[in-house]
Amino acid sequence: MGLLTSAASRAEVPVFPVVGAGGREAAEALWLLPGVRMVDTPRAAAVLVVIGRLTRALLQPVLLVHDQMPGPRATLWWPVDGRPADDGTDGDEGLLAALPDVVTTTAGDAAGLRAVFADLLAGRRPWGPPALADIESPRWRGVGPYGHGGEGMMGGVPYGRPFAEMAQDPDGLMLDQLPLQIGPLFPALPPGLVLHLGLQGDVIRGVTLGDNPYRSWPGDPPVGPLDSVPFLDARTSPTTVAALEVARARHHLRWLARTLRLHGLDARGRRIAALAGGLSATDRPAVEALARRLGRDRGLAGATAGVGVADQATLEPLGIELAGGPVARAAGVAIDARTDDPAYAGLDFEPVVHHGGDARARLRQRVAEAAQALALAERAGDAVRSPGPPVEGPRGPLAPGRTMPSSSLIHLLPTLLDGQEWGDAVTTVASLDLDLEEAAVDQSATAWPQTPTGTSTASTRTP
Amino acid sequence: MATDADRDVDGIDEDAVSWSDPLPAVLLVGAVLVAGAYATSVLDTAAAHLVAGRRLRLGELVLGPWREAALLAHMRRSTTERPDVQTWALAPALLAGMAAVAVATVPLAPGVAVADVADGIVLFGAAMALVMVGVYLHGWSSNSVFPLVGGYRFVALALSYEMPLALVLIAAALPAESLSVGAIVESQQGLWNVVRQPLGLPLFLVAGMGLASWGPLGMSDGTDLAGGTSAESSGGARLVWALARRFVLVAVAVTGAAVFLGGWHGPVLAGGLWMALKTLVLLAVLVGVGHRVARIRLERFVVVAWAVLIPLALIDVFVSGALVL
Amino acid sequence: MSRPELAGVAMWILGGSSVVAAWRVFRTDSMVRAAYWLLASFVAVGMVMVLLQARFLGLVLVLMMAGEMTIMAAFMVMFMMNPAGLNPMSMVHQHTTAKVAGVVAFAGLAFVGVAADFPDRPVDAASEPTAELGEELLGDSMLIFETAGVTLLATMIGAIAIAGKRGRFGNAQEGSAPPPVDPDAPAGPDARPSPMHGGHGGMHH
Repeated sequence: MGLLTSAASRAEVPVFPVVGAGGREAAEALWLLPGVRMVDTPRAAAVLVVIGRLTRALLQPVLLVHDQMPGPRATLWWPVDGRPADDGTDGDEGLLAALPDVVTTTAGDAAGLRAVFADLLAGRRPWGPPALADIESPRWRGVGPYGHGGEGMMGGVPYGRPFAEMAQDPDGLMLDQLPLQIGPLFPALPPGLVLHLGLQGDVIRGVTLGDNPYRSWPGDPPVGPLDSVPFLDARTSPTTVAALEVARARHHLRWLARTLRLHGLDARGRRIAALAGGLSATDRPAVEALARRLGRDRGLAGATAGVGVADQATLEPLGIELAGGPVARAAGVAIDARTDDPAYAGLDFEPVVHHGGDARARLRQRVAEAAQALALAERAGDAVRSPGPPVEGPRGPLAPGRTMPSSSLIHLLPTLLDGQEWGDAVTTVASLDLDLEEAAVDQSATAWPQTPTGTSTASTRTP
Repeated sequence: MATDADRDVDGIDEDAVSWSDPLPAVLLVGAVLVAGAYATSVLDTAAAHLVAGRRLRLGELVLGPWREAALLAHMRRSTTERPDVQTWALAPALLAGMAAVAVATVPLAPGVAVADVADGIVLFGAAMALVMVGVYLHGWSSNSVFPLVGGYRFVALALSYEMPLALVLIAAALPAESLSVGAIVESQQGLWNVVRQPLGLPLFLVAGMGLASWGPLGMSDGTDLAGGTSAESSGGARLVWALARRFVLVAVAVTGAAVFLGGWHGPVLAGGLWMALKTLVLLAVLVGVGHRVARIRLERFVVVAWAVLIPLALIDVFVSGALVL
Repeated sequence: MSRPELAGVAMWILGGSSVVAAWRVFRTDSMVRAAYWLLASFVAVGMVMVLLQARFLGLVLVLMMAGEMTIMAAFMVMFMMNPAGLNPMSMVHQHTTAKVAGVVAFAGLAFVGVAADFPDRPVDAASEPTAELGEELLGDSMLIFETAGVTLLATMIGAIAIAGKRGRFGNAQEGSAPPPVDPDAPAGPDARPSPMHGGHGGMHH
């Protein structure tokens, strides 16, 4: 092994994570693993880590990401719930069939990941060819006067691709509008979110939601486990208030950590993610100090103020205003299921409310709720909450038979994103704390669609 | 450029001439850029671990940048469909070359300058203007959406910070009554520009952060664009681009140290050491801000640049001019 | 080789580069490549000016053109129908006129170059071209330059004031639409033809 290879195999492992069904909780560990670095694009990655069960709709995008990794490359699978690699579900089988050299390790196993990486660089572990065939559109070659599929100035399909459409921009000019699918694996969006956009420069014109890749089809195992498991369990079984509130604070802090990373603050995000990982009620002073610091943070305020305003009028048609949840409370709606919950009766609970309904208000709302949750956990002692009334989950109220919060929140996107610049759109989506898997609970499916859904990933189809 | 150098040396003894010979010049500028890029990476790792509250082993700190470079060099280069191969390769070379031009105009110690030309500050400005072309081409040539958006973002950014950058450099040249960087350093004997023109250095650092697309102004290669202009770069191409961006940051820090922090002036230590120390301080500031301050919205930066930074830079020029008169 | 000889060689190389780059402007399909070939040509001319001791002007030329060519590329991409050059297109129009104009211009300049009696006044090595330029700008020609400068500044401020009413698209919630060509027709996307498509042949939607 040469000096270069030897040095390279000691570098931080560049990892591109893919969150499959039930993988959100385990994915949190990846960011904090020593000697591992999450990268923004498959082009920079050497190891692809698939966390949780791969659904059928995610298989094709994952293979595309695999092929976009320049190599040497390896694929790791982290099953959740300790299920074996070949439990007979379609998605997993599909992954193992398409990429025969997938290594299965336990979630969060840094040593296993590094061992695969070291073997890969030392040449002890072969790396495979692309999983997908290099197919080009058959209709352009040899067509037209130059044999490239185009004709005249703006006609034909040069190199197999249609021209961008013309559409009006906000200034009233007719400019090119590029139709684009983004997701389900775009790293700056929540895992699984698929957006169909018209893009004029970096300004979004027209948004439709794509298919939810976590939606389970007849014969699939059910989705989950969701990342709000303690709250879902509390619907049906007694839970201590303290455990519930610490889980809430952890959820909000993890969201904050991911959001800071998107705003270019990877290191600050890591610190908060580490805090969230080992969170207990005794961390209240630390979280309160964090809330004060973030309240004073001019840079973060500037990056989020006035972005993605979801005021009461916007929330009302979707039923979010009446339901409550952090997004509604950040718009000044003082509704919280805990107000009427007998378990919280002696705890001096008052819903936290912020005003403005923009990304900044939602950020402050969640941090304030995290601090409040730890204070409640301290005061609650051993108090036990008995099932019955709706549970206030981290994204909104949860009750049997009620739509999940993400299912309503996701329908804010077409309204909020239209006309935004790309960076603001990412800020807006992050500020809503969407979980596509949670939304998939409500999306009943009867039949597998004829054409599988799109395959665009981190780096998009080349126009 | 070097052909004029010896004739244009302003108040510097004749020993300086030898640095403008091809071999010493290349070695000197190359050494400054490589050492600066390495220092940037080390500072960056240290700052990241400090902010994240993670333990840091010395070996990781010292060897980390080399390991990462080795890994990128080891990885394959991938390509996109129908990229503009020539301009894709040109972009990092342009950035690195312009950073080298900028460093060449700065005297690193009394008499140690490759090309301390009479119009050094203008040459720096011209070189930094071409950085914009380099970043835009890097985004454009890969024929992919997110790199292209990153390229356009950089153009909007660059057009906004360039006026304040030019103005504060002009203000710094006023007390020296010369556009030569060496003369500007000489003029700071006794009183550094950072004190004489308190607005100058902060504005210069904001513009410099934009030039290298770093930290809060790193929107051309931001996380929200999946890496922006470098979203499609892999292996050696990625390594070269990362290096080129660090070279620009180093050029900014070296120039800032000379123009605002008095260059080689300072007690006890040798001039070259002072220069290195001041450059490292500026690099640490730039890198540290990158880990503390969130990436700014482009629209907001454009508004701030035109409505706040340019007026501040004008005040800087007017006040500096009045003081000279 | 001595320094003056090196300068002579550099002069020929830069002069040749500027001509070749200018020729490439018309031999590419892409707006961006065309703009940057033109920039390359300007940079070569700027360096020639540096060799001719007009260092300040040469460097300022590079500084300005880097920004201007990028803006030009952005505008061409915005307004051209075929910005990426996906379909080959000629960057040359009105062939006869262009040929005649080119030949006449070349002949004229060549005639002046050969026939004119250029003054032979070697520049004093100790002269300060930048300082002289400053004297000129703020001395005898001050009125002219100040008039032009203040006019340009007012134009720029006005343009920014018109364009930048709270953000990139004015009051972003309201948007804007082009005024209709026909006063009775409603404002809308097709009310105005897209600019800059004359001379490129027909539109195929």
